[in-house]
Order: sequence, then C-alpha cells, then structure tokens
Amino acid sequence: MITELLSTTVLIGILASGIRLATPYLYAAIGETFGQKSGVLNLGVEGQMLLGCFAAFYVALTTGNLWLGLLAAMIVGAAMGLAMAFVTVNLRAQQGISGIGFYLFGLGMSDLLFQRLMGTVETVKGFQRIYIPGLSDIPGIGEIFFNQNILVYGAYLLVPLAWFVLNKTTLGLKIRAVGENPDAADSLGVSVARVRYFTIILGGTLSGIAGASLSIALLNVFQQNMTSGLGFIAVALVYFGAWKPVGVLGGALLFSMVNSLQLWIQVLGIPVPSDIAVMMPYVLTILVLVATVSRVRAPSALTKPFERDD
Amino acid sequence: MLKSRLSGFIFQLIAFFLALGFVSLILVAVGASPFDAFKNMLNGSIGSMRKFAEVLVSFVPLLLVTAGLLITFSAGLWNIGVEGQIVLGAIGTTWVLRLFVDSSVHPAIVIILSIFGGMAAGALWAAFAGALKTFGGVNEIFGGLGLNFVSTALTLYLIFGPWKREGVASMSGTEPFPDVFALPQVPDLRISLWSLAIAGVAILIVYFILQGTYFGLKIKAVGKNIRAAYLLGIPTWQYSLYSFLICGALAGAAGALQVTAVYHRLIPAISSGYGYLGLMVAMLVNYQAIWAIPVALFFAALNIGSIQLPILMHLDSSLSGVLQGVLVLFVLLTEGVRQKFVKKV
Repeated sequence: MITELLSTTVLIGILASGIRLATPYLYAAIGETFGQKSGVLNLGVEGQMLLGCFAAFYVALTTGNLWLGLLAAMIVGAAMGLAMAFVTVNLRAQQGISGIGFYLFGLGMSDLLFQRLMGTVETVKGFQRIYIPGLSDIPGIGEIFFNQNILVYGAYLLVPLAWFVLNKTTLGLKIRAVGENPDAADSLGVSVARVRYFTIILGGTLSGIAGASLSIALLNVFQQNMTSGLGFIAVALVYFGAWKPVGVLGGALLFSMVNSLQLWIQVLGIPVPSDIAVMMPYVLTILVLVATVSRVRAPSALTKPFERDD
Repeated sequence: MLKSRLSGFIFQLIAFFLALGFVSLILVAVGASPFDAFKNMLNGSIGSMRKFAEVLVSFVPLLLVTAGLLITFSAGLWNIGVEGQIVLGAIGTTWVLRLFVDSSVHPAIVIILSIFGGMAAGALWAAFAGALKTFGGVNEIFGGLGLNFVSTALTLYLIFGPWKREGVASMSGTEPFPDVFALPQVPDLRISLWSLAIAGVAILIVYFILQGTYFGLKIKAVGKNIRAAYLLGIPTWQYSLYSFLICGALAGAAGALQVTAVYHRLIPAISSGYGYLGLMVAMLVNYQAIWAIPVALFFAALNIGSIQLPILMHLDSSLSGVLQGVLVLFVLLTEGVRQKFVKKV
C-alpha cells in the first residue's frame, strides 16, 4: 500500500499539487511581510482573503470574466487595507484589535453576501493550466512546475520581486527603516505614514489575490469560511520565514507539501489512520515553531503605532 | 478623570450608533430591511425565556474568556493563544471525565475534578505561550497562533484517534457522556446556574485583583511600563507568566464548561471563536472588568439573536459577526478621534 505513494506518477502528483497549494499562502504571507517589515501587524488577513475570495468568485460568475474577478478581489483587498491603514496609522489603534475587527467583519460580510447574492454553492471554470512549449514537456519537472495556472506562476514570481524591492530599492530601505526605527526614519524625512499606508494597502491587495487564487484558480467554488484559518497561518508563516520572502517561500512550501501528501494519502485510500494524516500539517507547525524559536528577531517597531514627538 | 470617562462613554455611544448605521447601510445595499433585521435579532435574543437562556449559555464562556484576557491585557500581553487555551480546557475536562466515567466516584466530585482538570490544562497551554515569550523571545501573538493550530490538531487527533466513537469516528465529536456527568440545568432551559455562577465569580475575582490588590497593581505596572516596573524591583517575567497562567485557567474553565454544561462531549469546534470575541470585549471595555458583564451579554445576545435570521428573512446569521466587527472598528475610530480632540483642548 505504502509503495503506491512511491510510484513516480503519485510522487509527481504530490509535488505538483504541493506547488499549487502554496499559492494562497505565498500571496498572503508576502503581503503580510511588507506590512510587518514596516512595523504593522495585520491580523485581518483572513478577513481580507475571505472578501477577496467572494468578490473574485461572484464577479467571475456574473461577468464570465476571470480577470475582472481578480481585479474585484484586488480592489476589495486594497479597500480593506486602506481602512486598516487609516485605523492603525492615523488613529494609532492597537493593531491586534483592529486586525481581529477586520477579520470578524470580512468573515461575516462574505457569508452575508454569499447568502444574499448566491444562496447555493456554484462553480466557475477558473484559470486554466498554461502550457509552456518546451518546459511543460520535460518529464516530471514539466508536470510539477510548468503545468500550472497563471496565479500559481504569479505567486512564485512574487517572491524574488518582493526580495528585490525590500532589499535592493530605496522603497525597501524606507520600509525597513520605518519598521526598525520610525523616529530615525522620520527625522531623515521619510514619511512613516505614507510608507505604512503603502505596505498595508499592498498587503490587502495581495490578500485579495490570495483569496481569488482559492476561488477562481484552485478550488473554483465559494463556500462560507472557505479559507478556514489559512490567513492566520499566513501571518504565522511570516514569523517562520524570519521576515524574509525566501523564508516565507520555504515555510509555505513545507506546509503545502505536507498538506498535499495528506490529501493524496486520503485520495488513494491508503490505510494510514486518517487522524494522523489530518494532523500532519499542524504537527509540522509545531516543529517549525520550535526550530525557529529565538533564531529570529522581529522588526523593532512591530505593532507600535508611530507618533512624532513634538 | 471623571470628565474623560464621561467623554469616553459618550464617544462609545456614538460609535455604537455609527456601527448600527453602517450595518443598516450594508443591509439596505443587499436589499434587506435593517429595521426588520434588528427587530428579529432583538426578538431572537430576549423574545422569550428560552431564548434568553440561550443567550446566557453563550454569555458564560465569553465572560470567562474576557475575564482572563483582562488580566493579560493589563500586563500588556496579547494573548491570542486564548483560543487554544479554551480548547485545551475542553480536552483536559474530557480527559478527566473519561478517567472516571466507569468508576464509582460520585458524579458531582467527578464534575468538579474535571473542571479543575480543564483549568489546569488551559493554564498549561498558556504557560507554553508565556514561556516562549519570556524565555524564547517569541512574540506572544506568533507563539499563540502556532499553539492555536496545535490545539486544533490535538482535538482532531483525539476525536479521530484514541477517543473516537465506538465504530466510526466523525466530526460530531466524541461519545456523549452520561447525563449524570452534566452540570444540572434549569428545568426546560439549557442554561446551568452553576456555570453562570462560575463565570460571575470569575469576573468579580478579576475585578478585585485588578482594583484592590498589590498583585494587580504590579501586573498593571508591568503592562504600563515594563522597564520602569523592572527597575522598581518587580520580577517582570514572573508577573507576565502569572498573568498568562490566570488567563489560561479562566479560558480553560470556559472550555471545561462547554463540555460539562453545553455539549457533554468534545467536538472539533469547541472554542467556537469565543477567544477572538473575548479579545474584542476586553478591548471594548477598556480594562474595566465590571463593564465586561453588559458588553459580553450584548455580544452573546447578538450571537443568539442572529441564529433565526436565515429562516426569517433569508439573511445570514453571520450578520452578528459583521455587527461585532464593525462595532469594534467604530469604537477604535471614535477613540482615535477623541484622543486627537482631547489633545487639542
């Protein structure tokens, strides 16, 4: 029975779906990385994702255009980010609380809209796999990496892009400065408020895309509370990834690979007790948590509202 | 002082009406009558004795969790792991009940033991988050999130593994305990006066600790300015840990009562989001323990009042969540405005 898992086809299947499953984590956690690098902890990711998830699905369903759906998710996410930025930057609210407020809002609102506007679970034909001549034909590798939909590719392109922006550009320097020492950044003429507005809205937009990737690219349905904690895992992944895009990538891949393995075990009907299978991703969370303890240091100004001393 | 408290109250009232207005707009936008929705919610929560008893069932865990969180908040800690502490409380209680279920020990003693077991398990889980924070330097928000996932996993493992029902394991939870192991309920109603009393005593104790004891003063000192507290000779890490333990024990009690007074078994979603709601309530009452009672009651009433909405007017019961979230955001909004306003004067 166990040998079934080790056959090449299954192995490729596990890896390919692992790559795919990491997509929402990547978008959400990279977005969250930007926010936290600038000193803002956004705990509302889950709510942003859920609304993005719904917006993308509903717009795609009614217009028949997936790109419009994606755009809708981005707009909804950005709007939630804008509101979050206003509350945390201008009003200097406790970030944990405002984040959970946005989570409850997004959770309830997506349910409410679903109930009013749709009522029943429907499906859409989501983003299809893209065949890349040459690359997709490579045995194994092609199936795993180059037979995915556009949002999956986007998620992986986001990682080097985020690394580049954070580490090699003036904007990235400003973001890091604002997150480490906002007073110093402020005295050098960097607008703490503007930088944080930017990172929170960017984070919201990416969370929106993360939601869309679930509803119109991976699962192609919308169900109530379909993210089921995924947004919170994304927040934790930022910590596991030590506030580095590459670290976030590692965490997201590890998590989704184990999840994929677990799903395949159930699909194949292998008599590994289902309780152990269900637990695997979580057990992994503990192990990674223990492994990362005290190895990393958070941005100094994380969760601290900035106020200029007059 | 009095003036600032009064203005704070007025601003919270403004926030409340702004939130109602905002949610009304949402309802109008989705084509539902806000008036009917609020009327149905009111009816659904206090329309009859039976419904109000349901509100109290929801009020008990929320109040217990809030009581605990008031302590950690006072110590300046973000105990987001409270969800997991509720879950562990439920697991601890279930474990003790299972130990004694076939024994000849008097059921009353078993119930009491099991509640203490739940409190101990909740405190232990909180101690993990506390130890990660004080010794490992792990921010309690991340440690707590991690531990929450672990607690979910543990529950699933127990329900589908060692504690699974005879024959099939299912999401409906473990085998229900015999009736003798349930806290006695008011005839015809689901509420147990015992659990109500436990929650009431808990909030009073927390009020007393924070208002009237040296211990509470030290916890608040740690929360206000950890460095100053340290320089004054308060062993700050110990007090952080104490506050985690108290909060964990109270959250554990909430989980314990969910098992002994409500579900009579362990179910996968045993915490039902009370941890996050408790964080909201604790923030809304701005550390004033006594105010936690009416606010928690109000939140519980929203929860229960919205249950009938899908049947009555094709609205989702999640409307309560929308209202709760919006309310919190508007309180933050008006509080921010008030701070600016106060500063200018």
